[in-house]
Formats: sequence, C-alpha cells, structure tokens
Amino acid sequence: MDGLLDMVVAFFRASMLSLGGMSALPLLRQDLVSTGYVTDHQLVEAITIGRLGTGPGGLYMVSLGYFALGWAGALIALCAVTIPPLVILPAATFLRRQLLGAWMAGLVRGLTMATSGLVLTTVALLILPSGSNPGATAWWQLALVALGALIGLEGKRHPVLAIGIGSAVGLLLGR
Amino acid sequence: MSPAEQPPPSLSTLARTWLAIGSQSLGGGPSTLYLMRLLLVERLRWISQREFLEDWALSRLSPGVHMVALAGLLGRRTGGTRGTAVAVLMLMLPSGLIAATLAAGYTTIRDQPLIQAALAGAGPVTIGLTIGITYPFAKVAARAGKRGLVDWSVLAVAAAIGLIEGISPIVVILAGALFGAIFLGKERPASTPPPE
Repeated sequence: MDGLLDMVVAFFRASMLSLGGMSALPLLRQDLVSTGYVTDHQLVEAITIGRLGTGPGGLYMVSLGYFALGWAGALIALCAVTIPPLVILPAATFLRRQLLGAWMAGLVRGLTMATSGLVLTTVALLILPSGSNPGATAWWQLALVALGALIGLEGKRHPVLAIGIGSAVGLLLGR
Repeated sequence: MSPAEQPPPSLSTLARTWLAIGSQSLGGGPSTLYLMRLLLVERLRWISQREFLEDWALSRLSPGVHMVALAGLLGRRTGGTRGTAVAVLMLMLPSGLIAATLAAGYTTIRDQPLIQAALAGAGPVTIGLTIGITYPFAKVAARAGKRGLVDWSVLAVAAAIGLIEGISPIVVILAGALFGAIFLGKERPASTPPPE
C-alpha cells in the first residue's frame, strides 16, 4: 500500500511540476532512485525503452513505473502522464486571457529553463558510474553520448536509428 | 471543403484516427506532433493550420506532457468533450500499453549478456539524445538578444544548483517559475512549433 501511494505521489508530482516529458526526470530520480524503488541503471533502461515505443516522449515514465512496481506501477504512471496535462482544457476556456498574459509567459519561460537545466545535470550524472549504474566511461560510450547529442540537436534523424547504432556498437565493443 | 464547413467526424472515425496516431508515432513527441498535423490538418482537414497552431501554443502552457494537452484540445475541436476523451484515450492507451509491455519483455531478458552489451551502447546514445533534445526545447522558450542571455542564465544556474546535494529539484523548479513570472515575462514564446 505504501508503495502504491509512493508511486502516486512521485509520478503525479513529477508530471504536475514539469513542462514536457523529459523535464519530469529530475523529480522522478529524486523520488524513486534515492528511495530504492529503482536504480539509476533502470532509469537509463526506462528512457531507452521509452524511445523505442510509440506516442509522446513522456512514456518512459510508464516503463519506469513497471520497473518500480510492476503493472500497477505502470498504470499509475500512465494515469500521471495522462491526467495533469488536461488541466489546460478548463484553463483554456475560463482563464484564456490570463494564460496569454505576460506573467504566464514568464512563468513558463522560467519553468522551462530551470527544468531544462536540471535535466542536463540529471543526465550528466547518469553518465557517471554509481551504485548499480555502470555509467558511460569507456571512450566508445562517451563517443556514443556525443553522437546521440548531435542527433538530438539536429532533430532530423529518427531516435530509433540512433539507438540502433548504439546497440550495434555495444554488441561489437561492449562484450 | 474548408475545416469549418466539414461535418463533425463520428466518434468511431475519431477513435480510428487517434488510434493510428497513438500506435504509429514511433520515437516520441516530434513524430506524434508530425502525425497529428499530417492527419488532422492536411489529410482529413478537420482542423485548420491556424487552429492547430493556436492549440499547440496553448498546450505548451500545460503541466506534464504537452502532446497529451494538445490531443485534448484538438479532440475538443472535433468532437466536444467526447472528442477529448476519445483523442486522449486512443493516443495514450496503445502507446502506454506498448511502453509497459516493452518494459515487461525487457525484464525477462535483461540479464542476457547480449542484451547487456546492446544496452551498454544504447544507454549512452539515449543519454546523448536527451542532452541534444533539451537544447531546442529550451530554445523555443528563450528570447532573442540580451533578454535571451538572462533566460539561458536561469538554465545554467539551475543546472549548477542541480549538482549540489541536498537541494530538492522542486525548490529549483518553483524558484525558476517564480523568477520567470516576475522577471522574464516581457515577450511571449515563439508561436510556431520547433522544426521536426
């Protein structure tokens, strides 16, 4: 029961305080890794699996929920990904003028920049080995981090292609 | 026939269309956005380009995953409250099921040496992708010129504070939002989606 409640709090809080799927990552790492529900290694696994599936980018949270608490965790995470963004529907109807105001633009800008900074720090920490997380310390793994960053920056190639290249290199050099 | 002159689609047609988006948008937000626009604006012409951009701009103000908010807004345009429910459920249920099933399948083969070797390469690429995708995500929110320097400074400060143990990310996020509401509201964000 405590586990279920912990999942509800962790996933809903991360979803409600983030803008975009990846920006929930720092909060999820704090709530789930530091409490022992998942490891940093599983966090990397969940993000990778999330990129291989369909739908919006935040669905790595469903994979993470599964790793933390099986199908119940996945269901809680799916609800947490789905429900909070829908607050925009009544807001767009009743608070349209406020939503389009300067202070809201500033709030979203500040939130976006702060969460983006935290995401960069979080993924940088995932490169370092810690606990069960082997990190990315070999030269070819660091080269793959750089390749992934370039592909992400360019935004033209499919992420599945990048993950395929990484897997192939891992099979060649990671054994 | 313009989108305004179109008869509203039936719920089953709506469901089939959103199921196609939810089950075929491989690779995250950009491909989901691409498929939404392709089907709803260009092929089916249920929604005009102006309406799509308006809803896209509103969806960026929502908490959490923006594509879910966009599906809700676009669904409402095409079928009211029931349209919202159908759009969101058909987008999220198949993709959520796929994500959970992939995780379940992966759990059974996780300890295989070949899988470990593949992840030793796929993991770093995914970390790199996340780093790379964060830049255009932030760039859409940041302003141009000298004001942009202030925006990027917020990112740098948040990243630096993130390295300090004992400071909760919530504090940084709320401080960023408060600072933004007070000091960063001079211009609206860009009104067009980033390039896909």
